[in-house]
Amino acid sequence: MSDLETGHFSIDDLENVQITIGKIVGAIEKKAKEEGVEVGPTPKPGISGLRDWDYTLLSRYQPVYTPVCDQCCYCTFGKCDLTGNKEGACGINMEAHQARETLLRVITGAAAHSGHGRHILHHLIELYGEDKPIDVGPSNLVAPNIQLVTGIKPETLGDLEEAMDYVEEQINQLLATIHAGQEGAAIDFESKVLHGGMLDHVGMEVSDLAQVSCLGMPKSDPEAPLVEIGMGCIDASKPVLLVIGHNVAGVTYIMDYIHDHDLEDKIELGGLCCTAIDMTRYQTDQGQKPQAKVVGTLAKELKMIRSGVPDVIVVDEQCVRADVLDEAKKLSIPVITTNEKIMYGLRNRSNDSAADIIEDLSSFKEPGALILNFDTLGEVAPELAIKMAKIRDEIGIKALPSDEELQELSAKCVQCGACEMDCPANLPIMEAMRAGVENDFSKFEYLHDLCIGCGRCDQACPKDIPVLNMIEQASRKLISEEKGLMRAGRGQISDPEIREEGVNLVLGTTPGIIAMVGCSNYPNGTEDLYKVADEMLKRNYIVVMSGCSAMDLGMYKNEDGETLYEKYPAKFLAGNLINVGSCVSNSHITGTAIKVAAIFAQRNVTGNYEEIADYITNRIGAVGVAWGAYSQKAIAIGSGCNRLGIPVVVGPHGSKYRRALIGKPYDEESWKVYDARDGSEMPIPASPEFLLTTAESIEELFPMLAKNCIRPSDNNMGRMIKLTHYMELSQKYLGHMPEDWYKFVRTETDLPLAKREELLKILEAEHGWEIDWKRKKILSGPTMKSDVSSQPTNVKRLCKGEC
Amino acid sequence: MVDTTKNTQIYATWGRKMAKPVNPNVAGKMIAKAKRPLLVVGSEIVDNGQLIEKVVAIAKKGIPVAATGHSITALIDKDIGAKYINVHSLGHFLGDKNWGGLDGQGPYDTVIFLGHKKYYLDQVLAGLKNFTDLKNLAIERHFMQNATLSFGNLKPEVHLEALDELIENI
Repeated sequence: MSDLETGHFSIDDLENVQITIGKIVGAIEKKAKEEGVEVGPTPKPGISGLRDWDYTLLSRYQPVYTPVCDQCCYCTFGKCDLTGNKEGACGINMEAHQARETLLRVITGAAAHSGHGRHILHHLIELYGEDKPIDVGPSNLVAPNIQLVTGIKPETLGDLEEAMDYVEEQINQLLATIHAGQEGAAIDFESKVLHGGMLDHVGMEVSDLAQVSCLGMPKSDPEAPLVEIGMGCIDASKPVLLVIGHNVAGVTYIMDYIHDHDLEDKIELGGLCCTAIDMTRYQTDQGQKPQAKVVGTLAKELKMIRSGVPDVIVVDEQCVRADVLDEAKKLSIPVITTNEKIMYGLRNRSNDSAADIIEDLSSFKEPGALILNFDTLGEVAPELAIKMAKIRDEIGIKALPSDEELQELSAKCVQCGACEMDCPANLPIMEAMRAGVENDFSKFEYLHDLCIGCGRCDQACPKDIPVLNMIEQASRKLISEEKGLMRAGRGQISDPEIREEGVNLVLGTTPGIIAMVGCSNYPNGTEDLYKVADEMLKRNYIVVMSGCSAMDLGMYKNEDGETLYEKYPAKFLAGNLINVGSCVSNSHITGTAIKVAAIFAQRNVTGNYEEIADYITNRIGAVGVAWGAYSQKAIAIGSGCNRLGIPVVVGPHGSKYRRALIGKPYDEESWKVYDARDGSEMPIPASPEFLLTTAESIEELFPMLAKNCIRPSDNNMGRMIKLTHYMELSQKYLGHMPEDWYKFVRTETDLPLAKREELLKILEAEHGWEIDWKRKKILSGPTMKSDVSSQPTNVKRLCKGEC
Repeated sequence: MVDTTKNTQIYATWGRKMAKPVNPNVAGKMIAKAKRPLLVVGSEIVDNGQLIEKVVAIAKKGIPVAATGHSITALIDKDIGAKYINVHSLGHFLGDKNWGGLDGQGPYDTVIFLGHKKYYLDQVLAGLKNFTDLKNLAIERHFMQNATLSFGNLKPEVHLEALDELIENI
């Protein structure tokens, strides 16, 4: 049979014809064969392709459901009461419904990232062509997630399209299963959840590879520039152009216009959310200075708008408040929407001239405009900001109440408690109001860092008291000091860095990777992030940041006036602090784990998901922390980590995701793996003991992090280091030795050197272990064998002699 | 007698099966009658000396204590044998009839909650309500709709008074 490369042919009169269509059947395998690459068993897996792996994970980590609502409201049978795991009219029970809801959240998040990825990829292909090479820095494995999942080894922008086609098709299939009258098993919804999470990381990777390759962003650069961050860094004396969102495509035209027209010193360009991070990365790979300042996360959106400082607001997509236009209108701030995902009911002005749009918006004929033509956007946004600054100044916009008004507003409060009960964090607002009557506004100021700026208090108040505005007015001094430095996202961890550090991670001598990602719905303010990162960095963990967490970490300074970004270097080495970049750069965190398996351990990565995930599960001590997680994107990211065996801890608000994956350490049957050398079963410690769970406070979080970096393959030195941190953090933050420390001891050399004798005594006295005191050796007691050359695996077929 | 059954307004979550409001004397007697009770204490007690006192007083009546979050730091020197556990894990284990409990003596039948973040405990209780047959008693300052029985929304001083009455009845 001959291959038809291009062209047309007729098959009308032919019989027994087999048609092979290039990108669907066999193309990946064929290309791989030509290049001498081995393809694993699951390139482009369908929904059931990795089901066995998921079942392996889910048998150890069971779903724990905590519904927010006990009813299903999906169809016209309903509402169906599912309380007590009852079945509804369609036959679905509470368990399966909760799993289905988790799936919906995860694929919503995956769609947000991959929708972004598709948009920016199309845009960049239009500008640079399909053949534009992917360039992410000194790496041969440029697309670990894409290559692992799809089997495609992309080299150009055009190659990324095929990966995106796969993601979109699979998301569509997953979405279909949510329809009433389909899947009924919770565990299969759970498998689909993990599938959706995996797709999310592919979609994110496409997005960041495309923009890093084309927009001059740092390419695996530990020296990525430090950029200004915080509400206090915005110079309100200049016209202020505020950009909000996650997709930097349109904003690059604004930055180019500002640059080309020498407006850099005449205009203040600030950003909120991940567009802001990507603005600071734009055209910096050759040493150009960042052109924008970062205001902060979504938690600062309402606060920043209500400050009245912005003269024009531009939004793109994702994590943008639905009420930006309404809030902006009150303060005469025109809003420009630039993306089909957010249009706010505004008239499409894409085909109008910049002059006409500027005239209509500056005369308040219309409150804003939808501009999908980026050339027009590039001109309108900065020119309008310059014009509006003058107009708004002349009008004398008054944004926040005065101190006198603060007292009057406090006196209006009837202490009904509605604000506190509606506040997602139940913050003590009534107390602040009581003090406010006495002209003491310190309790409002106290709320500033704790408040995530959602505005529910305002909506709840029966007296129409603008609570959020009061907090902001009382905190204006704090806000003016809220400025720091964050490192612009450096992009991927490069192959050479993996070669250097991989062995330490696998053996456990670098105690672990703590990846602090996610949104800004923190239980106790943004300072907690600083405390967690600082403590773990001092202990030589590699701390990786991205998105909102990366931004918030830049707001706090130590006693020397330094942020952690200034204090710690940004290489992929123990004790380094890395900001990979915006939300879509989260793919580089999972990508790093994949790279360790592929580069350091020489495992085949192409279409070989199960084997790589198994390797990561058993060998790489990494824990994700999404301390302020709230969005669908965050749970999608977390689920993608989970399928690779990477555990994730979320803050207490994360319980409202309604589902966790938690193992039972007391169920010994769950904690066994095979030794790949001979297929024998070996017991392992219960770590990680969860794939997704919540922590109540950072004090509880610290020992959880240390413990859950422990892996079956730790060598003695690594286990000793990890166990030392677990014990120390437990003693420091919980005031006691952890009760289960001895379960992680395989031999005396696993014990912290300084406490070895003391701990051996405890093992003998309290746990009945037999000790040879002459040699200070453990003779009997541990349930795990001490054999660091064992090859732990959860996959029987990977054992010698198995097929 | 403190009436803790009045203000049961709910705000963020809802379903068809809600907690029954309970008075402290009834709650106290219920704890006293429980075969295998467990007091689960959250980290909101840490900076609240008066609440710590109440926890200790309940524990001294012979109720075992699970300390979640970092609440153990406030209980460690109180000689009540409190054991640390993560509350999300605890919620999972409580539904497992094969779990030996914190002391190896077997599963619990009545779980009492005090000192938790409202929104967090609401979720843990939602899991217990829907997937276990445990009696869950919330003696928090706020109405916990997903418990089996709960105090209503109380002012701090009334809450302390109610806890005193509850302790008297254990």
